[in-house]
Amino acid sequence: MLLCDFHIHTKYSDGSVELRKTIDIFGQAGFDVIAITDHVVNGDNAIGKLARRFRLSVTEKNFDEYISNIKYEAERAWNKYEMLVIAGVEISKNYISTEKSAHILIIDIKDFIPACMSYEKIFLEAKRQDALVVACHPHNMSDSSRETLFLWKNRDKYAKYIDAWEIANRDDVFNVISLKKYPYIANSDFHKPRHLYSWKTLLNCEKDIAAIKKCIRHNKGVAITLFRS
Amino acid sequence: MEIFYIFVGLTLFGLIAYGLQIWAVRSHLKETEIEKNIEKKVIPDRVSPSHHLPISILKPLKGLDDNLFDNLASFCELDYPEYEIIFSLQNHNDPAYKVARKIKDKYPEKNISIIVEKCDLGLNPKVNNLIPAYKASKYDYVLISDSNVMVDRDYLKEIVKHMEDPEVGLVSNIIKGSGGKTIGSIFENLHMNTFIMGSVCFLDKFLKMPCVIGKSMLMRKTDLEAIGGLIAVKDVLAEDYIIGKEMHKRGKKVILSRHIIKNVNEYWGLKKFLNRHTRWGKLRWRIGGIRYVSELISNPVFMSWLPVFIWEASKLTISFALLISLIKVMGDLYLGKITSSDSNPLVYFLAPVKDLIIGFIWFVPLFSNTVVWRGNRFMIGRDSILTHCPETGMWAWRYRIIDAIKTKVA
Repeated sequence: MLLCDFHIHTKYSDGSVELRKTIDIFGQAGFDVIAITDHVVNGDNAIGKLARRFRLSVTEKNFDEYISNIKYEAERAWNKYEMLVIAGVEISKNYISTEKSAHILIIDIKDFIPACMSYEKIFLEAKRQDALVVACHPHNMSDSSRETLFLWKNRDKYAKYIDAWEIANRDDVFNVISLKKYPYIANSDFHKPRHLYSWKTLLNCEKDIAAIKKCIRHNKGVAITLFRS
Repeated sequence: MEIFYIFVGLTLFGLIAYGLQIWAVRSHLKETEIEKNIEKKVIPDRVSPSHHLPISILKPLKGLDDNLFDNLASFCELDYPEYEIIFSLQNHNDPAYKVARKIKDKYPEKNISIIVEKCDLGLNPKVNNLIPAYKASKYDYVLISDSNVMVDRDYLKEIVKHMEDPEVGLVSNIIKGSGGKTIGSIFENLHMNTFIMGSVCFLDKFLKMPCVIGKSMLMRKTDLEAIGGLIAVKDVLAEDYIIGKEMHKRGKKVILSRHIIKNVNEYWGLKKFLNRHTRWGKLRWRIGGIRYVSELISNPVFMSWLPVFIWEASKLTISFALLISLIKVMGDLYLGKITSSDSNPLVYFLAPVKDLIIGFIWFVPLFSNTVVWRGNRFMIGRDSILTHCPETGMWAWRYRIIDAIKTKVA
């Protein structure tokens, strides 16, 4: 089984560890597959503008540099740890109302996708790039202002575009995904080294991008595990 | 005022002790250089047969240490003709198992075996982990090496030289902390590179006392078995110290090699640092008894700040404490320089804070004789002998209340 984490942030957005060091943390811990998914924040409101102002977001300007650095590090990670590193982003549509907010992982992204596009357009663009679309931390009820309720509330409309849902994110478990029998994965939403110890995905497939995407989409041979030291 | 002068005296005593520790480290390292130069000049082509002694390296693994992959890989890249590496784990679910498998796959030409075997013969989990590996080892020389150390290519060649002398029973090494990125690991590395390194060299040079750090212990199987083997230390917390002590008792030399090995600590939390040093403090209190007091007195920073806390925070007391703290920072910086530490010079200014914390931790063992180690709670007795904590009765309630508070806080 491949030990995987598909939701990892670095200093390209709001992570506390640099890209190279992040890859080393996962490599040293014996991971097989990881995806680097820094935030791409919507710039159409004050929250997003603030995030961009403080460089907490990948933008159209630095997207190429972001991807090429991930590719460079991916080669190093493969040679040293035999760990597959996939480039991705977390499209972060943040609004004051949690009902409107949603975060979406686009894994194996090739071209920049702006977060201010409509949900439908984002999904279609991701499909065009043959990227994997994952609904992040799909909260189904509001407990705090940081939650992302949009995708779950509108699941009937958007579920067809989503390849998998995060059934577990760091320490949280979203049992509604299990009840609805949606395809699932589990990730750390890594921002700090201590987040290494969190929910992870186990995949029973070959260690290459096409096989991994297929395995997640078909959701066969997928398991989750709580990774602890 | 008398109180202040008493503490001034104790502080000066501590500074002298610290100075001697620096001297001990310096002369230990200087001797290394001299030895190396002599070897190069006088006997450049000599290859002693003992330089090729086949060695079994036993690596007990439990959980993920910082830098685990590179630590284990460094043992696969040793410049040494014949050795085997045995990774031993208690179960397949241990995250270190996957790392061990990756290392085995990466170095197919190396003699690496992975043993996964549940062993609960004793209370010391590290010894339990070592027993199956020891049974499986095939060579007459065993090197017990912790998973959190990283070594240079010439490590085995350097330490095995001492085994030419049949009187030598055990070779251990000085450990250097490296790679601190969080406050807990910065403190850990500072403590490792100053207090621990200084104390080990001081005991070796001035008191000729064996002070073995279990992170690296090279022995003959015959010598280890003569003191009862690993079974003899299955229920002690400080198995390294006891092995060294027993070897010494039987007239065998315990050598502190000049070769420094690295202990990479990058992402420790403060809690981990506090837990480890509370546990080690309890261990030293149980082993050393009244000699444990010397540790407090040889902490000049703590001694110099005590009058500020217990007498008065005046200009005089604060200036004195700041001056001593500065002297200690300079001393630590010097130690870092001579041991080629990779720490940023600025982190040495945190050394007085670390010394103050260590000073307060010193008192904990006087009130508590229990340790929680790898998830189990034990009581420590004389010579660090472990016994299970009672699960029923009066005392058990104390632990239940503590656990309940911890759970609530978490």
